[in-house]
Amino acid sequence: MAARRSRPRSRRSKAYREFVSEAEEILERMRSDLSDLADQRAADGDVDPELVNSLFRSAHSLKGLAGMFGLDGLSELAHHLEDILDGMRLGRVAMDSPAAGLVDEATALFASELGRLDDPKTPPEGSEEVAELIGRIDGAVREPAAQDDDLAGLDLDPALLRALTEYEEHRLRENMRRGRFIVLVEATFEILAFDEGLAELSEAVRESGEVLSTLPSPGAAPESQIRFGLLAASDLDADALRARIEFPHADVRPVWSPGATAPADRPGEPVATESAAAVAAPTAHEPTELESLKSISDTVRVDIRKLDELMNLVGELVIQRAAVASIARRLLDDPATTRAGMELDKTHKLLDRKIQELQAGVLEVRMVPLRQVFEKLSRVVRRLRRDLDKEVRLELRGADTELDKLIVEELVDPLMHIVRNAFDHAIEGAEERRAAGKPEEGTIRIEASQRGNHVLIEVADDGRGIDEEAVRVRAVQRGVLAEGETLSRRELLDLVFAPGFSTRDAVTETSGRGVGMDVVKNNLTALGGVVDLDSREGRGTTVTLTLPITLAIIQALVVGASDQRYAIPLNSVLETLLIDTSDIQRSEGREILNLRGEPLLLRRLDREFGLAESGQRKPHVVVIGLGDMRLGLVVDRLEGQQDTVIKPVQGPVQDVRGIAGATEMGDLGAVLVLDMAALVEDAYRRREAA
Amino acid sequence: MGPCPDVEGDGVQRILIVEDSATMRSLLASTLEGLGAGVEVREAESGFDALRILPRDAFDLIVTDINMPDINGLELVSFVKTSDAYREIPLIIISTEGSDRDRAKGLELGADAYIVKPFDPDELVRTASELLGKQREG
Repeated sequence: MAARRSRPRSRRSKAYREFVSEAEEILERMRSDLSDLADQRAADGDVDPELVNSLFRSAHSLKGLAGMFGLDGLSELAHHLEDILDGMRLGRVAMDSPAAGLVDEATALFASELGRLDDPKTPPEGSEEVAELIGRIDGAVREPAAQDDDLAGLDLDPALLRALTEYEEHRLRENMRRGRFIVLVEATFEILAFDEGLAELSEAVRESGEVLSTLPSPGAAPESQIRFGLLAASDLDADALRARIEFPHADVRPVWSPGATAPADRPGEPVATESAAAVAAPTAHEPTELESLKSISDTVRVDIRKLDELMNLVGELVIQRAAVASIARRLLDDPATTRAGMELDKTHKLLDRKIQELQAGVLEVRMVPLRQVFEKLSRVVRRLRRDLDKEVRLELRGADTELDKLIVEELVDPLMHIVRNAFDHAIEGAEERRAAGKPEEGTIRIEASQRGNHVLIEVADDGRGIDEEAVRVRAVQRGVLAEGETLSRRELLDLVFAPGFSTRDAVTETSGRGVGMDVVKNNLTALGGVVDLDSREGRGTTVTLTLPITLAIIQALVVGASDQRYAIPLNSVLETLLIDTSDIQRSEGREILNLRGEPLLLRRLDREFGLAESGQRKPHVVVIGLGDMRLGLVVDRLEGQQDTVIKPVQGPVQDVRGIAGATEMGDLGAVLVLDMAALVEDAYRRREAA
Repeated sequence: MGPCPDVEGDGVQRILIVEDSATMRSLLASTLEGLGAGVEVREAESGFDALRILPRDAFDLIVTDINMPDINGLELVSFVKTSDAYREIPLIIISTEGSDRDRAKGLELGADAYIVKPFDPDELVRTASELLGKQREG
């Protein structure tokens, strides 16, 4: 074969991102098809051929896409997956063969390899697992047997036969083998509105058989009309089918009849007259076809990136509005311009209201219910139930809770992981559950609810709970904890989120190939969310995810430390206090404030970022709450609240820990946004180290 | 070569891409846009979509995938090449390797070229510009 150049494209390019999102979409469709396929096989063993064909087409698309991006390993894997599915749809590979059994595995491996691509160290040829699975598929798929029945016995224009793909030919043969009638249903449509009419006709034919191929041909008036021939298989013969489909303008004629081995004997059939009649007929039908032109769906699909752009624009409007407000204030303050200031202030208020409406409108468009995620989780649990032979019930509540589309997408992986963990590790086998006096069937309950600007998602299982002693031993082994060091129960449970921590030595496949709770936590932090864990030994574990409803616009508190300004996302601020430095107590090298009887750990923002210390006697304390951790941030000034759109920072501050991004704040210029999760976490870690 | 009149006489050569994968479609489009400023690329996401778009403009080249839902690429080729209105439009099939039978069928049905996916952008540009050139001369 001629050498072909593969063109690895930059993994940051727009085309590459499109590839990843399209591949994910295809994989999701495949999972759904595979799950339907399993259900059909379990129900009556009879499988819809279109389902297998759809899986084949998906694998085929994945192969082509991965190949375009020089991902040879993935492309090869998809190619092998396509081979099995091709064999299945062409009847060469039995549904219950070892090869067919590899389809789920190959699909899952493709998905996990795709997830790993973000890591720049991932080689284009893919991991060893890919090579290993390809080897097994090679071993399981046998070479196709030559299949050369001839289709000469069909009374059909050879041009139509030529346009059949291999699969369509196979379905044709298969139906002939089963002794069904093969017919050709033809009808002419207006070219501008053929969809609905053709869909109706296909649907009517499908009710009595299978549509093997849809062949368009020029109508009698080629500029305005189009003719379709549906090659179909049915238990009804042409006459019976014509009567059944009740489609006045369709022309149905026999192509092959069971028992007929020789070509059907219809030499002088006046085909021309038939089509002329069919062409003439639609005039009477015209009004409905014109109507169908109007009945276009009132839903529009929009690329999420376009919504991002829109959101950014709204964000910029919000910032400009703040600039207008400050001009109005200046005008008001100067007696010479008070009148103009009042007018501008009034206009500003109107503008403000409209911008808020616009912002709410754009936000609303981005909101999607969690239902889609829940459906995915149900599918996963169904599959796990089968694969692991464990009785577990999934209870879902709050599927209508809405979140920003981007957040919903990013939530799938962490939720999937938590559910798999619960299924695999937490819920005991039937015997162990019986012995513990629990019902044999385990339960995983997922409940979503909205709390103000946040959404809470709780994943609770009634399994064995986290063995605190095992966590402690493991932490000592890994050097996270010193021998003999005591921790509170809470602190011990938090260790589960430490990088690479897992209480099981051999991580089974279901729990996600070594991806631990640390990854879940990182995913959540990236979304501005928090993950909390509570567990009772023997009773079960609850993982709670707290997420902002949207990432797009946040309210920020602007604070000053030394000569710098910082923005703190308002959703993490519990309250602000004005204190006297003499209120600050020192204990074991830490600064603590007594807040209504509870000790509050303090950090000084100027020291945090190595700024000149102002030595102010009456500083402010911003009390931050993340999950159930509290931190008091000591700052010199509070400068007010602002709506902001956070943008990632480029350049030297990009890697500074504690900085989440930057925001443009009208007349304040660019302000750095604090990464509260990192600051709180560091403060607690230092406390533990102290 | 002198100035080349095209079908509509407006100096623009129109290419119709028929492909169900959005990523592949935009890769094909950006490659074909590399042919120059006088080229306009239209995209159809399925065979049906192509049937709807075809009558709206005078196209100078069609580039189609084979494996698509609704009607497949071969059926589209058969339609184009049997239609008095469109048979003169050159047509490139672009599909994944390994389906020799489909390839042979495509060429039998009248496709002018067959390019294997993953496609080499240079090969596509070369083939497209040859076919567009012929179209101009004819």
